Amino acid sequence: MDGSAEVLALVGIGILLTALYLQSESFVDPLIRGIAVQSLLLAVLLGWLAWTTQSVDLAILAGLAVAVRAVLIPFVLRRQIRAFRWRMRELHAAHRVTGHALAAVALAIIAWFVFQQTLATTFPEPGAALPFVLLVEGLLMLATRSNTIVQVIGYLEEENAVVYAGALFAQGFPLFVEVVVFLDVLGVVLVAVILSIQRDVTGTPEEAALEELAG
Amino acid sequence: MIGVGDPLLLFAVLTAPSAAAVLALIPYPHVSQAVARAGAVIAFVAAVLLLATGAEGRWGPYLGLDALSEVFLLMVTGVYVTSIWYSRGYLQHVARPFLTPQVYYALLSAFAFSMIAVLVVTDLGLMWIGVEATTVASALLIVLERRPASVEAAWRYTLIASAGLTIALFALLLLYISTGTLDGFTLAANPPPATLPIEMAVALALVGYGTKVGLFPMHTWLPDAHSEAPSPVSAMFSGVLLPTALYAFLRVYRVLPSPPPVAITDLILAFGIATAVVAAFLIQRQRSFKRLLAYSSMEVMGLAVIGIALGGVALYGALILLVAHAFAKSAAFYCGGNVLRSTGTNRIDEIRNLRETMPATGLAWVVSAAAVTGAPPFGTFLGELLIVVGALAVGEVWVAGVVVAAILVAFLGVNSQIGRMVFGEPTASSRPLTESSDSGWGFAYLNVGVALAIGVAAFPYLSSALRAASTLLGGSLP
Repeated sequence: MDGSAEVLALVGIGILLTALYLQSESFVDPLIRGIAVQSLLLAVLLGWLAWTTQSVDLAILAGLAVAVRAVLIPFVLRRQIRAFRWRMRELHAAHRVTGHALAAVALAIIAWFVFQQTLATTFPEPGAALPFVLLVEGLLMLATRSNTIVQVIGYLEEENAVVYAGALFAQGFPLFVEVVVFLDVLGVVLVAVILSIQRDVTGTPEEAALEELAG
Repeated sequence: MIGVGDPLLLFAVLTAPSAAAVLALIPYPHVSQAVARAGAVIAFVAAVLLLATGAEGRWGPYLGLDALSEVFLLMVTGVYVTSIWYSRGYLQHVARPFLTPQVYYALLSAFAFSMIAVLVVTDLGLMWIGVEATTVASALLIVLERRPASVEAAWRYTLIASAGLTIALFALLLLYISTGTLDGFTLAANPPPATLPIEMAVALALVGYGTKVGLFPMHTWLPDAHSEAPSPVSAMFSGVLLPTALYAFLRVYRVLPSPPPVAITDLILAFGIATAVVAAFLIQRQRSFKRLLAYSSMEVMGLAVIGIALGGVALYGALILLVAHAFAKSAAFYCGGNVLRSTGTNRIDEIRNLRETMPATGLAWVVSAAAVTGAPPFGTFLGELLIVVGALAVGEVWVAGVVVAAILVAFLGVNSQIGRMVFGEPTASSRPLTESSDSGWGFAYLNVGVALAIGVAAFPYLSSALRAASTLLGGSLP
């Protein structure tokens, strides 16, 4: 394995470990710091690729990962926690965390195995399966968590997975930077607008029974 | 071919709603409303003229039209124009709106623009951006009435739809790596061999865009968003947003050579059947009439997806069903909106005797409910019939049986509930009802009339465009 591949593999494993850590945490503040670390690791990977390939697009993506997903959105989310103390931890989550962690590891193994069986010959790059594993982990978080801030973190993880995949094996994908900017804008809209509306309109935990949405 | 005047029409259909989205923010509500209405009318007239002139071909590197996009353009702009006009009376009853009328009209115009953009771009990446933009533009519209349930519904909608679209973006990455281009028109004209990565791209696009279409099991945002959004927005969600997302999938699906691999058509069929069957049964247990209509839309999307999977004449039926349903369902939501603004509730048990208290709305609701559930002679009936005939034609008798069963169950569920509200005797829990002079029931009659005209083939241009669109997708004609 050459030096570049070694860097990509090491940082990729770091990103995977942060994904597994996020699944096993129920307190929201460490989760926010976790997604910020994951975004920073992705930015390192993007920066490395930008350096080795002299790609301006990848350098912009690295900058976006730091500015929006490692700094701006975590900052807004932490302000939300200060405004709503009950968002500090997922309600009734304590007994579920072990299950989440086990499911996350099992899903990571399955996703890796499926990738090796189906797409490994098309994408022979080292660590090419990692973005797919990350995507599945993000989906798991969205599907299993009920805290709105944790769901935003799941969304950010999915976005990291898409950027990771695009940088690793789809360089030249048209409008990729614009697509990522769009995803970031949506992320900011999610956290800044809808969470604020939720504060203004409800001011109550999202697990409160919403009779109207039953059925 | 695109003629001399067609670029101007294409320009008009794109710029009118986008200009309206900006100009509607002007701080005078009446001017804002007039601007939004003008933008919608211009877009609709341009779409009709594009359909009538049969403009087809490319315009620059990113814009293009064919029969399929023209049919969908007519559908989107048709529901857009009636929803904008219907909005005036509806907005007046919202006691403490979260958005000013100017912002409401701006967002509604932006929502329509994003759907129109999906239909006129040739690049699948731009198309994805358009579908994602529909989420951004419409999420805040859901919270207009400032209720906790509305906020929760907007949240679920944004998050689930965006998660699905991330999967669709993965599909496009796979497609680009395999083919080196994302130009949908080029790929459709020269389909690459159906390799495993391309098949996986189509499967992921089905899951990704299917989330926005409301396919089971990714449908959970749909009943919440449809039931909590203001009725004109619900009409656009049910009538045209779901088909627009399906259109985006169809563009990816067209990349496959004809006939498509059986594994892919079987996968699409499985999603379609599961969606139609689950929705048909969920319809039976609804207590809110807006959720009832939302699940009915989900059932229709399931049927349309079954038609796409079967191909042949069923595909033609699916296109007719989508267009007729768009107009009929928007009519049903306008009627629901009238009842909601009169009573303040969407609970079926609290609404009775509409035939006497709100006769114009009541009759329109009964007719539009019959139309959305495929009663003859509406276009939805023709579409569903062709899907069943298509299933039998390819020897899929069991699929035909399942489709007929789902249609019947949904028909009984929707019409019995609407019938109870219109013809049922008042009870102690019934709310008092009055027909407002500006309730806009005329738009309901107008749209359900369009659904009827489609059924009796009264639109020569639309009929020929539907046939051309079906042929384009590899379908056959009866």
